[in-house]
Amino acid sequence: MLKIDHLSKRYKDTLAVDDLDFEVKPGVVTGFLGPNGSGKSTTMRVILGLDHPTKGRATINGKKYADIKSPLREVGALLDAKAVHPGRSARNHLRALAVSNKIALSRVDEVLEFAGIASVAHKKVGGFSLGMSQRLGIAGALLGDPGVLLFDEPVNGLDPEGIRWIRDFFRSLAKEGRTVFVSSHLMSEMAVSADQIIVIGRGRFITQGSVDELTTTAQGTVFVRSSDPSSLAALLVRNDGVVLQNAESGLTIGALTSDQIGTLAHFAGITIFELTPQRASLEDVFMNLTAESVEYGSASPEMMHREH
Amino acid sequence: MGVLVFIVLTLGLGALITVAVRSHWHETSPVNRLTFDPVSTSLAGTIFAQFAVGVIGVLLISSEYSSGSIRTTLAAVPNRMRLAVSKLIVLTASIFIISEIVCFIAFSMGQAIFSGVVPTDSLSSGAVLRSVIFAGVYLTLLAVFGFALGLILRHSAACISVFTSLLLVLPIIVLFLPQSWQNTITRYEPSALGRAMMSTTPPAQLFAAWTALVVLAIYVAVALGVGIALLQRRDA
Ligand SMILES: Nc1ncnc2c1ncn2[C@@H]1O[C@H](COP(=O)(O)OP(=O)(O)OP(=O)(O)O)[C@@H](O)[C@H]1O
Ligand SMILES: [Mg+2]
Repeated sequence: MLKIDHLSKRYKDTLAVDDLDFEVKPGVVTGFLGPNGSGKSTTMRVILGLDHPTKGRATINGKKYADIKSPLREVGALLDAKAVHPGRSARNHLRALAVSNKIALSRVDEVLEFAGIASVAHKKVGGFSLGMSQRLGIAGALLGDPGVLLFDEPVNGLDPEGIRWIRDFFRSLAKEGRTVFVSSHLMSEMAVSADQIIVIGRGRFITQGSVDELTTTAQGTVFVRSSDPSSLAALLVRNDGVVLQNAESGLTIGALTSDQIGTLAHFAGITIFELTPQRASLEDVFMNLTAESVEYGSASPEMMHREH
Repeated sequence: MGVLVFIVLTLGLGALITVAVRSHWHETSPVNRLTFDPVSTSLAGTIFAQFAVGVIGVLLISSEYSSGSIRTTLAAVPNRMRLAVSKLIVLTASIFIISEIVCFIAFSMGQAIFSGVVPTDSLSSGAVLRSVIFAGVYLTLLAVFGFALGLILRHSAACISVFTSLLLVLPIIVLFLPQSWQNTITRYEPSALGRAMMSTTPPAQLFAAWTALVVLAIYVAVALGVGIALLQRRDA
């Protein structure tokens, strides 16, 4: 299990991670979601002891990474696929890792095979494409058969076949009872590959939950057709509702649930013909959640999304 | 690759220099003949080899930073002291063994070239044996110094500039100082320490060979201490 304990990390004048505090449980794929520059990679680097936290700590099975004897056997990580000595062959790179952590050398060929790069194992890593490097990184993460796995933007550079392969692979790792923590800046990616999602923005925790929880707790809208639309609209506005659309066909209401609207209409004696909660897409949820915390936003990205 | 350059420099240039000395011996002045040191002359290739070993030491760590592989390495070996020490052991052992072999070959080759024309020395003399061994020790210490610079500065180019400056530019700067200062400072220059370590009878203005070894070892230890402290303190 992975525990982030009131973690903060400051680089000179950027507070990259601001008091993050959460746990990543075994047995499920946990997505770590945030816009560019929100501190995902920084959090991962602190977990691996590469960067020192300014405050708080990150522990794996109760220990700091630096205190683990043969860390690759407890934690496998893929942070930066290109962070490999370019002059080494893929096999020699993995062999060096195996030796440093007392892992049987026979594992090297197993993981090369598994990651689908056995045929280029003797080639120099410097000449690898991003996708091949990504697969080598995955092979490296699996080398010690670890119980905790961290992947920073693992689908970057993978082709569609590779993306599908990696999703299934995460699920199977989680099913084996491992802790799988995967970052992404794409909600759509997380929606299909993660069970549990932690959302951050500007280094701060925003929300956490299952994909379903996030979409239902997020403010969806409700479509209402009724006997008296204008009175109903006035009534709902008095009760903190927002009329997003007042069309011939019906009203689109925000900030109230269908239960609340139905109850209010009932007591006002307005007949409801149709009451339909409209689920926000996960992408909308993400945009809304992180709207204020987008570090490098282009001109109002959330506006563009609302149009759809 | 670097090791190959190092071997070729030491042996090749050593051979060239000794051949040159031999062919000009008949026109060498009697004073120069008297102060001639067949040992350090046969080891002259080390003047160039010292840059090769320095670069090997620097690159052992700076190449990890330029490629980013330091992160993969530290993820595998998060104990930074352990990482530094294991790299240091590999570096010291390999450079020491190669340096000693190369220096002994350079010495023997030099004496073989000299023989018959130029006076030669033999390893049966204690001072000669010490000089040849110290030549290898000098190169090993410089490799470790390069490694320490790599830990401190991280950028290959910056490390190599500083390294060459200390060996080449520093002595030139000292030449601009008043004579009395020069006399005290010169002997502390790394290259002067090397000369003292490699000659059978170091000139009076330099340290004795053993003193030179201790001074150089202190420099290297201090640089290494700073380097390891920074490695532990800084983000990777
Ligand atoms: N070594 C560093 N020195 C200074 N600032 C840094 C450093 N690393 C990260 N930052 C800053 O910290 C913030 C968080 O960066 P981080 O790379 O963790 O974000 P991220 O969520 O991984 O983004 P992305 O989705 O683009 O990968 C950014 O503002 C970044 O500029
Ligand atoms: Mg990142």
